[in-house]
Amino acid sequence: MRRRKRMLEDLDQEIQEHIEMATRENIDRGMSPEEARYAALRKFGNVTQVKEDAREVWSLVWLEHLLQDIRFGLRMLCKSPGFTVVAVLTLALGIGANSAIFNVVNVTLLQPLPVRNASRMVVIWVNNLEHGWTRIGPTGQDYLDWKEQSKSFDDLFLFEHGTGTITGLGEPEQVAGLRVTTNFGEFFGVQPLFGRTFRREEAAGRHNFVILGYAYWRRHFHSDPSVVGRDLTLNSEEYTIIGVLPADFAGLFPSDVVVPFDTDWLKRADSDLGVFGILKHEATLDQASGEMSVIARRIVSARPSRKGFGIVLVPLQSVRLEYLRPALLVLLGAVGFVLLISCANVANLMLARSVVRQREMAIRMALGAGRFRLIRQLLAESILLSLLGGVVGALLAFWSTQLLAIFVPSRIPVPNAADKVLLPQIHMTGATFAFTLAVSVFAGLVFGLIPALHSLRCNVNESLKEGGRGFVSGLRGHRTRSTLVIIESALAFVLVIGAGLMIKSFQHLLDANPGFHPNHLLTLRIKLPNDTKDSPYREPRQQAAAFQRFLAGVEAVPGVQSAAFAEIVPLSQDDMDMGYFVVQENPLLSADQHLAADYRDVTPNFFATMRVPLLSGRTFSQQDDLDHPRVIIVDESLAHRFFPNEDPIGKHLQISDSTKPPREIVGVVGGVRDTGFDQDPRPTIYFPSLQSPDQTMTLVVRSTLPPSSILPAIKNAIWSVDKNQPVFEVRSMDEIVSGIVSAQRLAFLLLGVFAFLALALAAIGIYGVTSCMVNERTHEFGVRIALGAQPGDVSRLVLTQGARLAGIGILAGALAAFALTRLLSSLLFNVSATDPFTFVGVAIFLALVALAAGYIPARRATNVDPMIALRHE
Amino acid sequence: MSTKEEKERVELLQGTLDLVILRTLQLEPTHGQAIAKAIEFKSDDVLQVEQGSLYPALHRHIKRKWISVEEGTSENNCRAKFYQLAANGRRQFALETSKWEKLAGASARILRPTEERQS
Repeated sequence: MRRRKRMLEDLDQEIQEHIEMATRENIDRGMSPEEARYAALRKFGNVTQVKEDAREVWSLVWLEHLLQDIRFGLRMLCKSPGFTVVAVLTLALGIGANSAIFNVVNVTLLQPLPVRNASRMVVIWVNNLEHGWTRIGPTGQDYLDWKEQSKSFDDLFLFEHGTGTITGLGEPEQVAGLRVTTNFGEFFGVQPLFGRTFRREEAAGRHNFVILGYAYWRRHFHSDPSVVGRDLTLNSEEYTIIGVLPADFAGLFPSDVVVPFDTDWLKRADSDLGVFGILKHEATLDQASGEMSVIARRIVSARPSRKGFGIVLVPLQSVRLEYLRPALLVLLGAVGFVLLISCANVANLMLARSVVRQREMAIRMALGAGRFRLIRQLLAESILLSLLGGVVGALLAFWSTQLLAIFVPSRIPVPNAADKVLLPQIHMTGATFAFTLAVSVFAGLVFGLIPALHSLRCNVNESLKEGGRGFVSGLRGHRTRSTLVIIESALAFVLVIGAGLMIKSFQHLLDANPGFHPNHLLTLRIKLPNDTKDSPYREPRQQAAAFQRFLAGVEAVPGVQSAAFAEIVPLSQDDMDMGYFVVQENPLLSADQHLAADYRDVTPNFFATMRVPLLSGRTFSQQDDLDHPRVIIVDESLAHRFFPNEDPIGKHLQISDSTKPPREIVGVVGGVRDTGFDQDPRPTIYFPSLQSPDQTMTLVVRSTLPPSSILPAIKNAIWSVDKNQPVFEVRSMDEIVSGIVSAQRLAFLLLGVFAFLALALAAIGIYGVTSCMVNERTHEFGVRIALGAQPGDVSRLVLTQGARLAGIGILAGALAAFALTRLLSSLLFNVSATDPFTFVGVAIFLALVALAAGYIPARRATNVDPMIALRHE
Repeated sequence: MSTKEEKERVELLQGTLDLVILRTLQLEPTHGQAIAKAIEFKSDDVLQVEQGSLYPALHRHIKRKWISVEEGTSENNCRAKFYQLAANGRRQFALETSKWEKLAGASARILRPTEERQS
């Protein structure tokens, strides 16, 4: 650019010198000075032209044209502010919806995990299809065997989620803990903020080392870097802090403290374990799966107790998002539709305008404007519009991000695995702005090209001849405009069908009977600190007694209708407890075949509190304790499956791995959908917790008081029993339920919003085309009325027009919806993706909307005054 | 329609002029007026180039980096800009020359038989 300036500045002088030189030479040849100068000038040619040409060499012609186009486009947009505002708002809705959903997708699905090799990480579960267990944690011994025998992995890593009690730092606190194998640091490539991670060789012995999570370190140590080397009392034992994790690691494991496994412990560990592996570069998932199933068979022959167990490998990144991905992809498709509809609407507006501007275009063409240049100018106008739409859309998206953050769950379940994943906070990212820009330009091209190409088809001569009467020629654009409206209606139909199906499905979900009454229930968890030698809760009796005392305290709180403890609360995805049993009266199966059921330890009042109906027999009582015969209650589904034609009451089940005598079935209760509304109840055995006490239990409280007002009293009741007892994971059952249906709710709400938008835009489109048609045919209507047509005839004429377009659109949309709603099926509950009621209902609804949109122009058509219409001629 | 023809003529002229300029600069760095004179002299005034059109052409060459420019003093002690062939330009000249020769040869072969028939 600078070179350009210098060259052009010097040009003047250079030309002058050239001419002077030539003049001097001419004088030398004997011309008179005046003659010499003229001759030189003649020879040189047109000085101004030369300068212009030189300037053109350096100028960026396309840029100047572009600036011209933009300036002109802005002027045109300012000249018709009404059109501009409507178009920009329409586009802003379409673009804003896309940006908002893209932002969610980007933050949740596309952001890489904060660890090295995340793309090669797989989660390794065991399964037992015989018992319907698709994803459960392996035992520590499984892990050790895998690690020794497998060759497809660079490394394997094992962890256990848990909780721990930290004391000595103010109030006792229950923290989220993670126990890991000592290859933790290397496996994830995690660089501690301070200190170090564990060393592999530290697995050899017991080391009380702890690494702090970033959030916990900030909260309790106020980001003090000198924390490394200090002591921490965890579960009444002294631990040495050896490091602090970086902030982003919480995106994978949101743990407060991380402690190591030693090999001895590992061999004994057998519940709630998770295993990750890093696939070797050259290994594929299929190869690794193949190898692992061979290993699984080898393990079964070495340890017959593992019979029936296979191994499942799933890439870590897809596991984390399995739950939300279908909902988000559907929404992404939906906003794409909304954008196309808004493009179609704006294209329609521009077509209507291009009729008015036909004369302008004709004159430009007559004056020699190239077609390409005209298209470019029209495109510049439309891209300007869409960029303006994009700016407003980005604002809408920014604003709706706060709203979306409410509906996008922060914790999502991992399907079939009784596990949960934390999602990152939704926030606007740079990628979203880039996406918005791209979408805006794309939209501008889409809706700009249609009218641009269309306006070029016009015949210059005729347009000019038609003179001021612009309307008649508008009929030509009519076909294009009708097509656009048909496409719009079809797209809107698909969206409304989608929303209709989701609404119906969500209604079913909310109406679904989970087997208990989820309203007015508050839950919180208590873990007795029984790990240490001086703990007052070492003995099972002591634990049972402690929970009895807590329960008595809570039941005495005013407003509490009933309360109970359960090992695992339905739908909470907190944990898994399952095992085998043998029916003593009917031991038909060979020794190595097992019947399996979920195990649940509950206090007597559990069924009354949850309102799980008792079908026969009795519930537990306070007498069902360690001093009395062992009893159990089974659920309906177990009774149906294993006692199909007999009364299970009085039968005995031998619980596996138990040397104790068989337990008598004393009652049958209703089935509970424990893993989700869309899952059938699984065979379940309830144990009285007085006979099989646990360290950690969940308190459920039924009360009509709002949780916030009753919670303090409940906590006080617990603390008045033991002032050092932390409570954690306080949640209402409503919260738990909404966590279970969060993907469906997200899809249901947003699809509803987008369908509404689509419908409104399509209605506007139909209205626009119809009223344009009425304008064009004012004269004709005048004649008809003058010849005696009744208002009804005229309005029918207009309404049919709109209805025809909508009708074709609905038909096309029905076909498309038939193909597309299958994508929804994973989100649908008890509704077929081609539910005929929804299809018919939505078709009728859309037809009504189309009629309503045509009604206003139809009214206008009947009001045409024949005198005025004819005089218009 | 007329614009199209005109454009073709200009292009032809431009191509020729470009070649001639590059040829002139092959010998030594030269200033604008001297280039004009050289063209006139060497082509025996056959190429009636408007001298002014030389300058846009020179600017074009500079932009393409075929030639470079530096300050210097002309034969009669005037400050002047001297244009000088760059490596790119040398390559371009070779290319253009062979193209031109091919074209000229082909044209000649096509034209000669016609002349013979006429005679």
